[in-house]
Amino acid sequence: MNIFLHELKAYRKSLIIWSLSLLLIVVLFMSFYPSFAKDSEEFTKIMAGYPEAIRNALGVNLGNFFTILGFYCFPLSFITLCGAIQAMNLGTGIVSKEVREKTADFLLTKPVTRTTVLTSKLLAAFSVLVITTIVYITAASIMAFQVKTDDFSFKLFIMLSLTMFFVQLIFLAFGIIISVVVPKIKSVLTVSLATVFAFYFLGMFTEGAKRYFSPFNYFDTAFIIKNKSYEASFLIAGAIIIILAIAASYFVYAKKDIHSV
Amino acid sequence: MNIFLHELKSHRKSLLFWSIGVFLMVVSGMAKYAAYSSAGQSMNDLIADLPKSLRAVLGFNALDVSKISGYYGMLFLYLLLMATIHAAMLGATIIAKEERDKTSEFLFVKPVSRTTIITAKLLAAFTNIVVFNVVTFVSLLFFIGKYNSDGEAVNGDIALTMAGMFILQILFMVIGSALASVKRKTKTAPSLAASILLLSYMLSIVIDLNERMEGLKYLTPFKYFEAKNVMLGGGFERVYIIISIVLIIAFSTITYVFYKKRDLNV
Repeated sequence: MNIFLHELKAYRKSLIIWSLSLLLIVVLFMSFYPSFAKDSEEFTKIMAGYPEAIRNALGVNLGNFFTILGFYCFPLSFITLCGAIQAMNLGTGIVSKEVREKTADFLLTKPVTRTTVLTSKLLAAFSVLVITTIVYITAASIMAFQVKTDDFSFKLFIMLSLTMFFVQLIFLAFGIIISVVVPKIKSVLTVSLATVFAFYFLGMFTEGAKRYFSPFNYFDTAFIIKNKSYEASFLIAGAIIIILAIAASYFVYAKKDIHSV
Repeated sequence: MNIFLHELKSHRKSLLFWSIGVFLMVVSGMAKYAAYSSAGQSMNDLIADLPKSLRAVLGFNALDVSKISGYYGMLFLYLLLMATIHAAMLGATIIAKEERDKTSEFLFVKPVSRTTIITAKLLAAFTNIVVFNVVTFVSLLFFIGKYNSDGEAVNGDIALTMAGMFILQILFMVIGSALASVKRKTKTAPSLAASILLLSYMLSIVIDLNERMEGLKYLTPFKYFEAKNVMLGGGFERVYIIISIVLIIAFSTITYVFYKKRDLNV
């Protein structure tokens, strides 16, 4: 419990900064919706003239594109990217910082098992992500109700927003496994930014079965709007990745050689 | 010279990974071009009709993505993002790492001035950036040549956009190094450099989305050498080159001046 509280305290500042930044981004983007909605009818006419293949290639869903939900998907993709960086930073940093800051022997000589240490740290990271998501979704919802021109399904809005949280969980798991496998991480940010952007770009240029390669592709916003549900196979894939990574982390961390000073 | 070589060596591995990364990016990006070009027809007129905000949301520029030059214009933005992330982190890390790794005592008791050390480090970072740029350029030439079935003359445009990318790489490198030498806690310099970079990227998207924000375009380097302006408008705009050069000189000066007087944390 002490470790958990200590970690929460250590990440308090970063939590505030991240939550505020995500909040600002979504407020900024959503404030453009009214001007965007104005011309939507004209847009729709032009869009219908596009060749089918192009429309599919762009993933544009004609009927839904100009609603507030369709517009929301646009900022959401950037917000998910930012959220993923936050989660990856958190995952990579929370275990490896003990070695980097030479506090590992202080912590690990305390009468708690390594499993307890890792569990507390994981729970702390998880709580940070949950708080960020709550702050973000609250701000996004208030903003959406402010700028809406038509009624929209709030349930769908929440479902879309939650995809950020799921992607964050996957990247948190990635971060944890990397930080326990690699002996010493000198710079957390280098590792996390490189990983997140690699997957982001990979996600941008893959489709079909290759979608499994990038967590950014697991939640197709057009599919969610259309079918009002997540794609089961990708949910399962995400869950498997998280469980495997976390389980492997416990296994590795329990026996890991940790150099003191 | 020793410091220069040492820095080159210590960044060799990361440079290798980044180069592989950008190479794969070009490969996968160009592979997707097939999907666009197979749509078969030119969409120039349609795209020209679209309001600016919708074009931004869809990821179009004023370029025709069914042609290889237009598609490249779209891909360029992501290459630029990748290159500037590399440059900003490199600039910040190369200065900050001595204090992070607790090797500053070792280095700064050597009989060389701080100016010499900074110069060597910046030169090493510069060399890394050149290599990254050349790798990007060569892979682009090769893969665009491979998919360029219509024999469009794009190589000149690619060279021009790569020159623009190079200027921005240097700019972000010196922003990173300036942050690392000004900030008391150097550990946070790379994250600060990265957040400034993401912020300016976001700003460039917002400017695309809303006409009223047009005046802010001087604030974000991502607007300086946009593919559509460089390729369709015929080259760089002088004002952006001047801004970039002034910024680069300013941030390099900051790096030197502040690092000379820096109180090193040991």
